Amino acid sequence: MGKQRALQPRVRTVLAALVVGALAAAGCSPGGGGDTGPREQTRAERATLIEFADAKASTGPAEEAPGARRGGVMPVLERDSYEHLDPAQMYVNSQTTMASLIHRRLTAVKLDNKGRYSVVGDLATDSGRVSDNGRTWTYTLKENIRFEDGSPITSRDVRHTIERLYADFVTEGPKFVQEWLADTSGAGHRKLLPGGPYKGGHLPDDVLETPDDRTIVFHFKRPRNDLPYALSLTGYGVVSQKRDTRERYDRAPATSGPYKIGEFRRGRSMTLVRNDQWDPKTDPVRHAYVDRFEITFNHEYGKSARELLADADPNAVTWSGSVDVDTAQQVLKDKDARSRTIEGYQIFVAQMAINMDRVDDHRVRRAIAHALPTRAVLAPYGPGIGGELTGGYLNPTLPGADPSYDPFDKVSKPGGDVKKARELLEEADAVGTRLVYAHSTADADQKGSVAVADALKKAGFDVQRKEVPVDNYYDRIGKVDNGWDIYRSNWGHDWASAATVIPPQYDGRAIEDGSANYSHLNDRKVNREIDRITAITEPEKAATEWFGLGKYILEEITPAVPLFAYKQLQIAGSNVGGVVFHNEHSGVDPTRLYLKK
Amino acid sequence: MIRFLLRRVLGATVILLVISAVTFLLFYSIPRDPARLACGKTCDPESLAMIRASLGVDRPVPVQYWEYLVGIFAGRDFAAGPCPAPCLGYSFRDQSPVLETILDRVPTTASLALGGAVVFLTVGLALGMIAARNQGNLVDKGLSSLSLVMSSMQIYLVGPLVLAVFVYHLQLLPSPRYVDLTEDPVGWFKGLLVPWLVMSIIFTAAYTRMARSTLVEQLREDHVRTARAKGMSGRTVFFRHAWRGSLIPIVTILGVDLGSLFGGAMVTEFTFALPGLGRLAVNSVTQTDLPMLMGVMLFAAAMIIAFNILVDAVYAWIDPRIRLS
Repeated sequence: MGKQRALQPRVRTVLAALVVGALAAAGCSPGGGGDTGPREQTRAERATLIEFADAKASTGPAEEAPGARRGGVMPVLERDSYEHLDPAQMYVNSQTTMASLIHRRLTAVKLDNKGRYSVVGDLATDSGRVSDNGRTWTYTLKENIRFEDGSPITSRDVRHTIERLYADFVTEGPKFVQEWLADTSGAGHRKLLPGGPYKGGHLPDDVLETPDDRTIVFHFKRPRNDLPYALSLTGYGVVSQKRDTRERYDRAPATSGPYKIGEFRRGRSMTLVRNDQWDPKTDPVRHAYVDRFEITFNHEYGKSARELLADADPNAVTWSGSVDVDTAQQVLKDKDARSRTIEGYQIFVAQMAINMDRVDDHRVRRAIAHALPTRAVLAPYGPGIGGELTGGYLNPTLPGADPSYDPFDKVSKPGGDVKKARELLEEADAVGTRLVYAHSTADADQKGSVAVADALKKAGFDVQRKEVPVDNYYDRIGKVDNGWDIYRSNWGHDWASAATVIPPQYDGRAIEDGSANYSHLNDRKVNREIDRITAITEPEKAATEWFGLGKYILEEITPAVPLFAYKQLQIAGSNVGGVVFHNEHSGVDPTRLYLKK
Repeated sequence: MIRFLLRRVLGATVILLVISAVTFLLFYSIPRDPARLACGKTCDPESLAMIRASLGVDRPVPVQYWEYLVGIFAGRDFAAGPCPAPCLGYSFRDQSPVLETILDRVPTTASLALGGAVVFLTVGLALGMIAARNQGNLVDKGLSSLSLVMSSMQIYLVGPLVLAVFVYHLQLLPSPRYVDLTEDPVGWFKGLLVPWLVMSIIFTAAYTRMARSTLVEQLREDHVRTARAKGMSGRTVFFRHAWRGSLIPIVTILGVDLGSLFGGAMVTEFTFALPGLGRLAVNSVTQTDLPMLMGVMLFAAAMIIAFNILVDAVYAWIDPRIRLS
């Protein structure tokens, strides 16, 4: 998943668990990054394979955050209100971050105090037991797990959770598991259980089996080695069969995490209060240090950053708000403020997609790649603050990603290589080729577009810029017949595997209006390789193979030019402890927060 | 009076119908698909068609509009639940009932508008009176210049400046926020103090200048001269005769301002992160949320019309020569 409605971070999607890179020191030094400034993920910390943990690691309570204490009320300054409370409909980053406090799933991504990530059993006793060469996964539910009303969570609830994903009203959450069970992609998966379970129908036992109250067995037609990752997404949060009210569940869900919803006034505020039915002994991931979170919405990023920088309320924090470029300069100059920040990678990588239907000469595409001035594209986001240049398609946090990989010198020569581009154009006898360059009306995109157009003109292209309103930018570039040659796109991974990066963007069999294959790449070898690598059961081998395929696509076909990986800088009040960057949230981990005094 | 009200209400209904029709048509004239935002990240054409059908936007626009109007008077049923009359529908984005959402936002906007009005009306009229009484001298010139400077400022400039200096840096003023008056009156007052003050900086100038010019004009009127000739004190002449006569243009401009502010003080609400109708209106546009947009537009229009009717009624009270008929 993961196309970012660019430039409109409100719809940034959560793409779950990345890999390591936690701000280890932040975890060890309560309250933030310590005296030396924001703790940043280093390249060495990043790309480690995430572990699927066993029953021992999946047992609660969660490891105590150093220095943590219980009690107090924590104000949370958020920009966007929550459009959904039904976990099945949740995919937006700000929503899933909040949901980590109220909705539990079969598995979860755990970050320990040493900064290591693992997939653990959340409601389940472990991250899953695989058999039949990756086609069958078995989960056993823990004991003493309950919804907020005290009713026990059983395998029937989990079955219902999965089955209702086939109902027509569930449209916004992740679709991985539904599609894998149906062994199809796109809307066709709904045919497996039309309308969901509401007419009495159920998924057959050879697809989803619940032999007893605590056991759930998933049967797939093909190996699905990433199931533990997928099930950790908020979209697979457990739903109470008894309390399910279909569409209306979105307004009053039954929660299962350490907090429940005290009050929610859409567009205004939300209060999360302790859920006394939550047993910390069953939860290896979450804490409930704070008595109450008081979330208020409508705080633009700049405003919340300035308010937190001024420490107007030492107890306040933002979960998804980033420090804007202007305020970042003040934050980084102020020693006290810096000690209250955390920093890390978002899941998104920005690219310049090249429309293969229109730009069919590889030499011309390479010329575009060499000419692009990535420094100028990144500049409006704040180099080092809002993003970091990258030479490949994979996010630096993904296993298999090689930070030194830079075949088009986009990191080593961020100004672009117009001379080399010109040579390639002359070789292709394409000097003066018309190039329609579409960009959004978002401020940062507009600023960068001037330098991009200028560099391409210098290289010998006849560039025609086309401004597209930011609100429907992705709808327009998602049209197969969009009429443009190059355009910016962002993509993020759902979990720590390039399996959620390469196939969605470069599988030619998925090309249709609305698909994320913006370049319209349809290459037989690439398609075959996608099938082959998807079936690999060893994560380490798969990671290497995905990187190899990405290398082949970039160097031998060049359907898109990598630009930069997005980053996130956040700041908290001086009395807030446990401020740790969590890759799953692309920001602070709300489950570890506490008030120092 | 009853005839006057009936006539104005009838006129208002026609205006609201026109506004609703125009909003509906404008919404569908922009190349955006409300179903797209509810289609998740990997959106295939089949899913998109399904969502269009569930939102009802796949039907002809006149049919949708007719059903919308019927809903207002007779109520409707939606998948998200029944919607009794007056039904403004459910939000496309979060399925929240539109009317309920608007009513939830009204207290913020009303607090902002009324509280601000009290400040800018009091200060503006007082300064206008001082300037008029000191017509031509240094005080008048000073106040006139000040109001000119103030009227050329904008909330999006003054607001962040006040926040940066007085709230964040010096910490002399409380951080803006909205809490319900009934829950915490002190918190309500403190939370809105900065927005009121900033709004007043902008609006006060207009009232100062308006009060001064109308008072100066009134002081030259025959009835004021007559009152003076009768031997009334300067203070009595000023307040009883000149002042009352100067109120009509001020009430007119106040009616327009309050109507607009009740419809949503967008810039103020964005600047101070207040959850009012203005922000709701902007969000409904950016999120292609037709039901919410229609609801807010109709509410804002109704407020402007209501305040205009109120202003007309107040004219008669201020000046007995004016008859509502």
